[in-house]
Amino acid sequence: MPVDENEILVRAHGLRKRYGDFEAVRGVDFEIRRGEAFGFLGANGAGKSTTMRMIGCVSEPSDGALDLFGLDPHTDGPAIRARLGVVPQDNTLDNMLTVFENLTVYAGYFGIKRRTAARRAAELLEFVQLTARSRDKVDDLSGGMQRRLAIARSLINEPDLALLDEPTTGLDPQARHLLWERLFQLKQRGVSIVLTTHYMDEAEQLCDRLVIMDEGRIIASGSPRELIDTHVTKEVVELRYGGLHTTDLADIARTLDGIGSQVEALPDRILVYTDDGDDTTAALEARDVSPTSVLARRATLEDVFLRLTGRALGEDDG
Amino acid sequence: MSGTAATAAPGPAAAAWRAFQLQLTLYRHTWHGTVFSSVVLPLLYMISIGIGVGSYIESGATGGITYAEFIAPGLVCAVAVMMLGGDMVYPVFGGYKEWGGAYLAQRATPLRPVDILNGHLLYAVAFRPLTACTVVALVLAGFGVYTSAWAALAVPAAAAVSAAFAPWLFAWCSSLKNDAMLNAVFRFAIMPVMLFSGVFFPAEQMPGFLQPLVWASPLWHGTELARAATAGFGTALPPAAHLAYLAVLAVGGWLAARRVIVRRLSF
Repeated sequence: MPVDENEILVRAHGLRKRYGDFEAVRGVDFEIRRGEAFGFLGANGAGKSTTMRMIGCVSEPSDGALDLFGLDPHTDGPAIRARLGVVPQDNTLDNMLTVFENLTVYAGYFGIKRRTAARRAAELLEFVQLTARSRDKVDDLSGGMQRRLAIARSLINEPDLALLDEPTTGLDPQARHLLWERLFQLKQRGVSIVLTTHYMDEAEQLCDRLVIMDEGRIIASGSPRELIDTHVTKEVVELRYGGLHTTDLADIARTLDGIGSQVEALPDRILVYTDDGDDTTAALEARDVSPTSVLARRATLEDVFLRLTGRALGEDDG
Repeated sequence: MSGTAATAAPGPAAAAWRAFQLQLTLYRHTWHGTVFSSVVLPLLYMISIGIGVGSYIESGATGGITYAEFIAPGLVCAVAVMMLGGDMVYPVFGGYKEWGGAYLAQRATPLRPVDILNGHLLYAVAFRPLTACTVVALVLAGFGVYTSAWAALAVPAAAAVSAAFAPWLFAWCSSLKNDAMLNAVFRFAIMPVMLFSGVFFPAEQMPGFLQPLVWASPLWHGTELARAATAGFGTALPPAAHLAYLAVLAVGGWLAARRVIVRRLSF
């Protein structure tokens, strides 16, 4: 089926969510197009999941406009949810049911006939490599397998849009890579994806376009490449000083004036932003600041986040 | 990929039916456990209390019928209440997150909170009493406690008790934030209802200050109706009044439960 890349599936304008005095989402605008993988990147508490719940039509916006598939979540919630595939952060799989039943029972909620449900369930278990576990109870699956099952479940209604809330949080590296592979294949099948994550590598690998959220606001948006090009230099040189205190790093950073385009001291390392890593490394050697290790690398989304918020992603907003 | 016509928003009855399928599938895994509550438990009650205790009781004390005949209809209704202890306490609390979060999973689909409520009630209020209490009634028939076919009305009476009581349990367990409070549901709802309902002795025997508890208990109203059908007794109030009370309780409870689940499942 030809995919109309310009068709807009989700439109949000001035979207806000308040809980009492606390405003979790403070007026965000975004559009999500058919066929793309769209990411919400941000630290814990940035408002990603709250935004996701509004898109999932289980949370009413306090203010602003939201439109999915040309429908209004306030009046057409069930019809919109019928076209979404949701992978919640905590899976919400049924431990008492088998792997297969988790899919077929869920299919029933969408009014999918038993025979069709069974066929799709078998296909999806194949897709997420769980066919051999079909009759097992969910409790017997590893965390990665449970997450794959949750992804299979979200696809049972052949959704127009799949919503994945932190799909790889808490998984070991191997499980994450397997999951990324599946998500990448999903993209190739033409499924539109929205995901939230606080992993830079995940966002960089999976997202065509993303927004960076901080304290309930969108502070930057674009493709991973555009964000890096716009907000940071091409490369970053990392200096590490094993055993030195954070305040010592700040002192050393002050002696590096004039090197690269910006120097930033973090608690565990110093970052020097530059367009030429080799030149900068040579200049650093001349200053005789003797770090225990020096690493020149390409700038990543993590650097973008750091530049924009002044915090590393692992640090909580509180 | 695109959604098919079959995935459009369902009507309330279809949606409740869809949500009910979860309970039915779970039941297929656990039905053998219910053999205990619907076959073994009534047998034990009948042998130990009906026959054992009954041998000390003259039929004059129970309106001219044997003690076993006296307790049989109430026992059918009491099983419905005991089953609610299994169906409407832990599964409801766990539906919101801690143990699987079945309601949360359903919430992400076309089902609305009220459909999720109705689906679970359909199971606890219709499917369970109409199947299990029928088995109980048949098992008790083996003790020769029925004199007419009207005794079969004990089963719908049991379902009526469930309908009146289940939504209140649903509302209460839906509003609990931690599982330590679940014991309170047994202590302050299920146990008093079981004790103060005239199942094992005529409710008039209770001290006067406890009578309001008897009148409030849905199990007492159901037992009165079931006993009237089974033993041909007159009811304490006109049958329509007993039914009306149960109906008011059912509707009020459903409204309360709907209010709580809508609040809990709106984020």
